[in-house]
Amino acid sequence: MLPRQRLLLKKVIAHSVLIASCALILIPFAMVVLASFRKGNFPPSTLWLNPDQWTLDHWKYVLGIPYRELLNAATGETKLVNPTVAPMRWFLNSLVVSSIASFGIILLSGTAAYAFARMKFRFRSQILTGLLVLQMFPQILTLTAYYRILNYIGEHIPWLGLNTYAGLILIYLSGISINIWMIKGYFDTISPSMEDSARIDGASRFQAFIRILLPMSAPIFAVVFILSFISMISEYPTASVVLQESANRTLAVGAYSLLDEHEKLWGHFSALAVLSGVPITIMFLLCQRFIIGGLTSGGAKE
Amino acid sequence: MNDGAVHITDLVKTYTDDRGRPTFTAVKKINLEINNGEFMVLVGPSGCGKTTTLRMVAGLEKITSGTISIGDRVVNDLEPKDRGIAMVFQNYALYPHMSIFNNMAFGLQLAKKKKDFIQETVSRTSKALGLDHMLERKPQALSGGQRQRVALGRAIVRNPQVFLFDEPLSNLDAKMRVQMRSEISRLHGQLGNTMIYVTHDQVEAMTMGDRICVMKDGLIMQVADPLTLYRQPENLFVAGFIGSPPMNLLKGKVEKGDGGLVFKETANENAVTIPLKGPVETIAAKVVGKSIVFGIRPEHLTEESKNGSTAPVSSTIDIAEPMGSESLVYMRAGTGNLIARIHGEALYHMGQPITVYVNLDKVALFDAETESVIR
Repeated sequence: MLPRQRLLLKKVIAHSVLIASCALILIPFAMVVLASFRKGNFPPSTLWLNPDQWTLDHWKYVLGIPYRELLNAATGETKLVNPTVAPMRWFLNSLVVSSIASFGIILLSGTAAYAFARMKFRFRSQILTGLLVLQMFPQILTLTAYYRILNYIGEHIPWLGLNTYAGLILIYLSGISINIWMIKGYFDTISPSMEDSARIDGASRFQAFIRILLPMSAPIFAVVFILSFISMISEYPTASVVLQESANRTLAVGAYSLLDEHEKLWGHFSALAVLSGVPITIMFLLCQRFIIGGLTSGGAKE
Repeated sequence: MNDGAVHITDLVKTYTDDRGRPTFTAVKKINLEINNGEFMVLVGPSGCGKTTTLRMVAGLEKITSGTISIGDRVVNDLEPKDRGIAMVFQNYALYPHMSIFNNMAFGLQLAKKKKDFIQETVSRTSKALGLDHMLERKPQALSGGQRQRVALGRAIVRNPQVFLFDEPLSNLDAKMRVQMRSEISRLHGQLGNTMIYVTHDQVEAMTMGDRICVMKDGLIMQVADPLTLYRQPENLFVAGFIGSPPMNLLKGKVEKGDGGLVFKETANENAVTIPLKGPVETIAAKVVGKSIVFGIRPEHLTEESKNGSTAPVSSTIDIAEPMGSESLVYMRAGTGNLIARIHGEALYHMGQPITVYVNLDKVALFDAETESVIR
């Protein structure tokens, strides 16, 4: 084979692999998007819609806009559907819960990570290892326990019990050990001489943490925030157990409720699934500007 | 005014693990008096406890036992900011997310000083350091030398009694290091504050220090001004540490020869023999037959015999390093090389026989066991 041909072959192979992996990601997404615009409630199955198959009904449904639904194709009989506001409500529920819980996670794991990275105390390394071991068990295993605990709390503190957002956030805040590890790992890369220097400048330990270490750690906090946010927007099992009233549901639970055993509203479901990507995308774009390299460079030379 | 004097008494630092169990004693009961306005250099190999000592003076490291006082105050339990100190770190330790102005102003802002005062102090200091045109930049945009100058400025604006330097020049390139060295010396001249300067570089120690404290394994080996340290080392460690190339240290014994005492190197081959006379013979008389170390600096081995108090040593040349105005000649000896720093532009060759003269007035004899100098 000529060198030119060999190069061409290499390029063809490389591009085929790349195109195939892109397709693997993009095709299911395109199928869901198309299902959300397809007349009738069909599961995502096609990559092509004929002009007469398009409709905005599913989107109107999830956005709470009234529309006419075709009841009988033969007679042309339609009915005005005035959707309940539930999907938008779920959407907001998810936004609120995920945002508050993500901030809470940053607060808790950030301060915990500081202690593990910078302080000396008994059983420090054992606790760190313990956190890692705990993280290996899926949170779902403890679901019944969470149910009982929230039930019990709810008897005494009603706003923190079952069927409350605070209760759900409380449970979400318990899953932070991997975040502690991530943030601690980042703190470890920052020279302690920065905080030493701040202490000589008159900063208390807390001031050194808030004014020196935190701003320098923005990238890791952005990563932890976005990862927590994504996982909570799409979290189903815990939310479905804790939040039982229809209006209280989060997006993931609400979306799944559209796939009832008797009537699977695939079109509605698809529109809602696409919609759930919007806050994640916005949050990602907001956080992305913090996820930059070189934030700590220039301060210390190792 | 005696505010900047630092007294270190019976200072001990033992590091502990997570559980508080002792793991390693870095500083072993040292005593050191640093006078007001003095430039004191702590020097020693890594792990000798010099940085730990400095960090205890700064208040960044808890004191295990002993006391440190600055001026008349015992500062053991004071916060770093209340000790009247400022510190410059090896890795600059600038705040990377702040502008140069804020880096220098941070301490004053925390102390809730008036805005005008901060502005005035920072601009005056930055001007003196040639940083006034880069106050809005971030540390990242500065060169190593500029960054260290910012760190210096940050220390100066605190107006401390005592400046602490933790190997501030180690991260700079050779040229910058020499420049900053003189800048810090000049600063000391201008401000007149007490400065404690930690380094592992004996050239920095010799060129900058009013006095030098040589440390090893958590102990002070000797405290003296640079020339005393160079001329009269108290022990083998100081003798070998200060000076480049280092002092020649030959292991051997003093024996009785035909014309008086001689030093005989203990070795199977190439052992050198040096006849002793003058004051050094009197000292050597105390240790006849004992294992000693014979110390002589390279520049005290000359090619010409001078004024009676020299003794000849003959050997062959191993390597010669011509350096222009002088040559370093490595002569074969029993225990390693005998290095002579010979002035003049003559060329020397490997294997060439050579006779040099030991300036006996400059010889130091050390007890091989205790490693201290014999007087």
